[in-house]
Amino acid sequence: MKVTILKSGLKNTIFLGVALMVLVLGAAGNASAELTATANHDHINVDFFYHGSSVSVRGTADQGIDLVIKITSPEGHQELLKKGKLAGFLWMNVGKLTFEKTPKFYGIHSTKRLEDILSRDEMDKYALGYPALERHVEISPVGSEGEKSDWFNQFVKFKESSKLYSVSSGKINMTAQGGKQNYYVLLDWPYQALPDHYTISVYAVKDKKVIETAETHVLVEQVGTVKSLAGMAKNNGSLYGIISILAALGAGFGVGMVFRKGGGAH
Amino acid sequence: MHLYLPVALTSINVLIPVGLGLAVGLLSGLFGVGGGFLMTPLLILFGIPTPVAAATDSNQIVAASTSGTYAHWRVGNVDFKMGFYLLVGGFTGGLFGVQAIKVLNAMGNADFVIKMTYVFMLGIVGIYMFIESLASMKKKQPETVAPAKESRMTRFLKSLPFQTHFEKSGVSHSTLLPIFFGGLVGILAAIMGVGGGFLMVPVMVYILRMPMHVVVGTSLFQILFNCIEVTFLQAYTNHTVDFILAVLLLLGSTVGAQVGAVFGRKLKGEQLKIILAVIVLVVTVKIVFDLTLSPSLLLAQGGGH
Repeated sequence: MKVTILKSGLKNTIFLGVALMVLVLGAAGNASAELTATANHDHINVDFFYHGSSVSVRGTADQGIDLVIKITSPEGHQELLKKGKLAGFLWMNVGKLTFEKTPKFYGIHSTKRLEDILSRDEMDKYALGYPALERHVEISPVGSEGEKSDWFNQFVKFKESSKLYSVSSGKINMTAQGGKQNYYVLLDWPYQALPDHYTISVYAVKDKKVIETAETHVLVEQVGTVKSLAGMAKNNGSLYGIISILAALGAGFGVGMVFRKGGGAH
Repeated sequence: MHLYLPVALTSINVLIPVGLGLAVGLLSGLFGVGGGFLMTPLLILFGIPTPVAAATDSNQIVAASTSGTYAHWRVGNVDFKMGFYLLVGGFTGGLFGVQAIKVLNAMGNADFVIKMTYVFMLGIVGIYMFIESLASMKKKQPETVAPAKESRMTRFLKSLPFQTHFEKSGVSHSTLLPIFFGGLVGILAAIMGVGGGFLMVPVMVYILRMPMHVVVGTSLFQILFNCIEVTFLQAYTNHTVDFILAVLLLLGSTVGAQVGAVFGRKLKGEQLKIILAVIVLVVTVKIVFDLTLSPSLLLAQGGGH
């Protein structure tokens, strides 16, 4: 009994100490460390009826600042076929392009246009906006900066066509409350976004600089039969192939039998 | 209603694959083609990644051609003996074709060869079938005139060893003939990444001189076995068969194949040939447009054909 009282006493002291430190630091840190970010769910389950989702992000920020919200999947390597003209008039695949340090998913939402609230250096530092992302990714083989730029623009067009890349401003709702602002944004989560770990980063921006960041995560994951089928296709290809063939043969014969019976009635 | 496809990693309205299956299955039962040259591009158009579209289509054709072969077999229109020799050739040709693609890929101009093979083969087959069936429709009595005189070609074919009679088709050939042409179609089909039904049908009609209704059933029979092989290889090596998408497609295509087989019996051989010729020519024109008009996107997901 004594031991428990002693333990809880110790816990209280530690808690008080930490709370005091936070207060002191908060007062000293010129009213920053105030940015928060929470997503309404951190887990999106992909089942048979999944047709995309929506994620809302909310939090508080200081007054007089702008916000940039970035949603990305981990950076990696992507290989795409490039089309070009052959013999001057025939369009076909003329080779491959490799994109390094490139996220499969990239979404930016900001209170105002990025160029109006951030300096180029700051955009580059956090890879915010297409021009900054272009300077960040590596594309090969390309002959010149101009060629890289052309292919990057094509890449963005390709990604935007399947809703995997987007940059927009003015969608974030801001409401002032007690010397702070609450922000809220509802993001469409397209079904084309593959199962992965996604990071939602919120940047507080003032005087063309990022002054604070907050982060939250969303995991998109296949569940149930979708997960087992995808897993089997990947890890047990021969069995998966045989089952697919048998099912097709069975269906073909089955429908054949049904029609024979139907045909006999005439 | 939308369903999520676990391998294609995308969501699709179920009416799309069922409808596509029904339409392409109908063609399959009517003409003895697998319909890959139509289905694969259509699936890509609806957002299915290219490798998944091609692999899943062959899985679906297994069902459609089983259904179609069964329907044609019931009315005695499948020449199993001829089908077997064509298959022997087709399998061997397929192996050569796959090697040819590897070499072309290494040389970096596979796409050019594939596209050109497509345009020329479809174009030649389409035009030839169209003109020929139009001519025989005008003649009214097409089948009776041909066997009267023996050309040098027919004499040569008759001098080949291993002559045998194919009862169902009512023709006699050397077994080397279906093996050779089966092989040729197998090579081209592997290069083009299709089942080859639209090449096999003219070979059977014009070279093997089989009656059109037996051609359709026999073609479906050999397509069935080709697609079983392709489905297994795709599932085993590339993991690109989407089972759910295949089920949705085959719901339509198995029924379509039955309806096609019934309709086919009501049409004359020449009518079937001329409609198939028109479809092949329309596809050719579409490919020519795709090749010459500026594409809206200059990048695409790899792993196709």
